[in-house]
Amino acid sequence: EVEGAPGAPLDVRCLDANKDYIIVTWKQPAVDGGNSILGYFVDRCEVGTTHWIQCNDTPVKFARFPVTGLVEGRSYVFRVRAVNSSGMSHPSRVSEPVAAMDPADRARMRGTSAPWTGQIIVTEEEPAESMVPGRPGDLQVTEATKNYLVLSWKPPGEKGLEGVMYYVEKCVSGTDSWQRVNTEIPVKSPRFALFDLAEGKSYSFRVRCCNSAGVGEPSEPTEATTVGDKLDIPAAPGK
Amino acid sequence: MSSNEPTINSSKVKKFAVVEGKHAKFRCFVTGKPKPEIVWKKDGVPLEPGRRHLIFEDREGYYTLKVLYCKTQDTGLYVCAASNALGNTLSAVHLSVKGTSVR
Repeated sequence: EVEGAPGAPLDVRCLDANKDYIIVTWKQPAVDGGNSILGYFVDRCEVGTTHWIQCNDTPVKFARFPVTGLVEGRSYVFRVRAVNSSGMSHPSRVSEPVAAMDPADRARMRGTSAPWTGQIIVTEEEPAESMVPGRPGDLQVTEATKNYLVLSWKPPGEKGLEGVMYYVEKCVSGTDSWQRVNTEIPVKSPRFALFDLAEGKSYSFRVRCCNSAGVGEPSEPTEATTVGDKLDIPAAPGK
Repeated sequence: MSSNEPTINSSKVKKFAVVEGKHAKFRCFVTGKPKPEIVWKKDGVPLEPGRRHLIFEDREGYYTLKVLYCKTQDTGLYVCAASNALGNTLSAVHLSVKGTSVR
């Protein structure tokens, strides 16, 4: 505390900021200590450090000073001291932090934030039981001649649809003996052509779905269909 | 990038356990703008999506890693690392897979 020294300057703020300089302004102290103020010293400090650097070697007269020698992108705070013939004032209150960057870059940075990650929560889950697929629907004989016969159907509506394939079964009318037609390979598409049917005989057909979990229940059987020239060809599906 | 990544204090890492053969789901909420890039790592090695590793952002916005049909070898330190232009951070947990034969 120097007798007769001025009071501390007030309201230090940044008027304009660029990557090359930041213009700092302030208000003259309320008390000049009895002697007129000769000028001011501006100090800067990089945010995150406690190292204050005096920016001007000789006191500046006007309450405004462009601070240079800044590192682009770094943020700074400022304070100002007043001086008269008796001595130096206490430093002013510190300004708000200001980043040394161009206004366009500042605009680009606005509303940005560094990442933050919350606590990772781990939960144990039961592997989904694979389900045996349900029954195919809408089984129909879509084409029939004495040489071949075509069946079509709809996939099951229930779960367990993944990787569903089909087995086709036939049964000679009047018997209860269902025989799998494609004994080796299940078919992937919901249609099937049969060739080796005995002419003149009457058959019913049904289809089962299968997946990795197993073979499902059969569809409703078709009505008895006779293989031969006089065969009625049913109406096209999806009429 | 990895050189300035935060270090992990293993003693403070939360521990979770799952039973062998079950799925382990890791969920991590991440904020940041621009939207951070997320890398899941196990014992420092980035995990790629694959048959047993599902990596996705769930409906509630959590970054999620799912390890299917856990094996005892899946035991280890799992990290969710997030980075954007403004920085990077991570969260870590330790998973142990308990063999079913030990019961």
